[in-house]
Amino acid sequence: MTPQGDNFLDALRRGDRRDAFRAIDAALDAGTELRGIYLDVVQPAMREIGRLWQENELTVAEEHLATAIVQSAMSRTFERVFVWRDLRTPLLVAACADTERHQIGLRMLCDLLEMEGWATTYLGASVPIESLVDFVRKHQPAAVAISATIAPHIPRVRAAIAAIRAADLPQQPVVAVGGRLFLSDPSLAMRLGADLTATDASDAVRALDEKVRRGQRVAP
Amino acid sequence: MGLNDVIHDTGASASRLLMRDQDAVARAVTAALYAASPALLERHGERGRDKCLQDMHYTIEHLIPAVDLGDPALFIRYVEWLNGLLRARSVDTRDVVRCLELIREQCTERFPRAEAEAIGAILQAGLTVFAG
Repeated sequence: MTPQGDNFLDALRRGDRRDAFRAIDAALDAGTELRGIYLDVVQPAMREIGRLWQENELTVAEEHLATAIVQSAMSRTFERVFVWRDLRTPLLVAACADTERHQIGLRMLCDLLEMEGWATTYLGASVPIESLVDFVRKHQPAAVAISATIAPHIPRVRAAIAAIRAADLPQQPVVAVGGRLFLSDPSLAMRLGADLTATDASDAVRALDEKVRRGQRVAP
Repeated sequence: MGLNDVIHDTGASASRLLMRDQDAVARAVTAALYAASPALLERHGERGRDKCLQDMHYTIEHLIPAVDLGDPALFIRYVEWLNGLLRARSVDTRDVVRCLELIREQCTERFPRAEAEAIGAILQAGLTVFAG
């Protein structure tokens, strides 16, 4: 990990939001781009926080605090580096399966896609499937991303994908799935009916860009 | 219809049975576990028993998609995760082994043979985590 990454992790372990922000600012000042902040500073730190909880070295409360700090650090960083533009396309709709609390990866995906000129709509956790499908019908996104971390979310992911497939849409969106479940077994993505999965947010941006934008260029 | 379709269909119907009877199986396993070792209630009290029931639900919720997809690796990863979690907290993993065995016994009692065997195969894969 980078020195800023170490400082960031240390701040998360202590639950010190200000020091966490300082570590991110130092990385930005050193010329690190948003992608590097997310993938090389935030992601390894969050994985370590998860491991420390697993090893009983952090309590649930401390882990939740670290997550909250990461979320605010990410939105703060994004606001610092992002330049708002009009006429953004294509659109991605993002949602977590079930009462999924592990939302950071999906947030990363949305932010990095925005940097590449996409428009994204982040619906977060606990969106009922019918509501997700209505939203997709109304906004006609080029892609839908669904994240899932644990096996009990599988039925909901599969049901959500099946409902999107069954919806009467002028064009079916590309469906991407991600999260720890699919890291352990990428083949699960296709078995649940998704079009693609990826190893991290940056990999997902590459895969979506290729699938959606290349698709648009060949379309009449 | 090939052999794989038959296996997959059995998995799907087995997972539906498990979903339907999830609460009953979780309660029966918790009751059997506490009946077999009264020391558990002395040590952990009523709150411990409620927590145990929650844990049984959580385990069955992980079991259901593995049975449905016929994917033992999915359940093995959960048991490995659980094992790591419990070891870090110095919890005796023999109770987990007993729970998985009790779930299997409950399924054998309640469900048709093919479905019970489909569930049993996934549970058996999970038990290998504790073997050796």
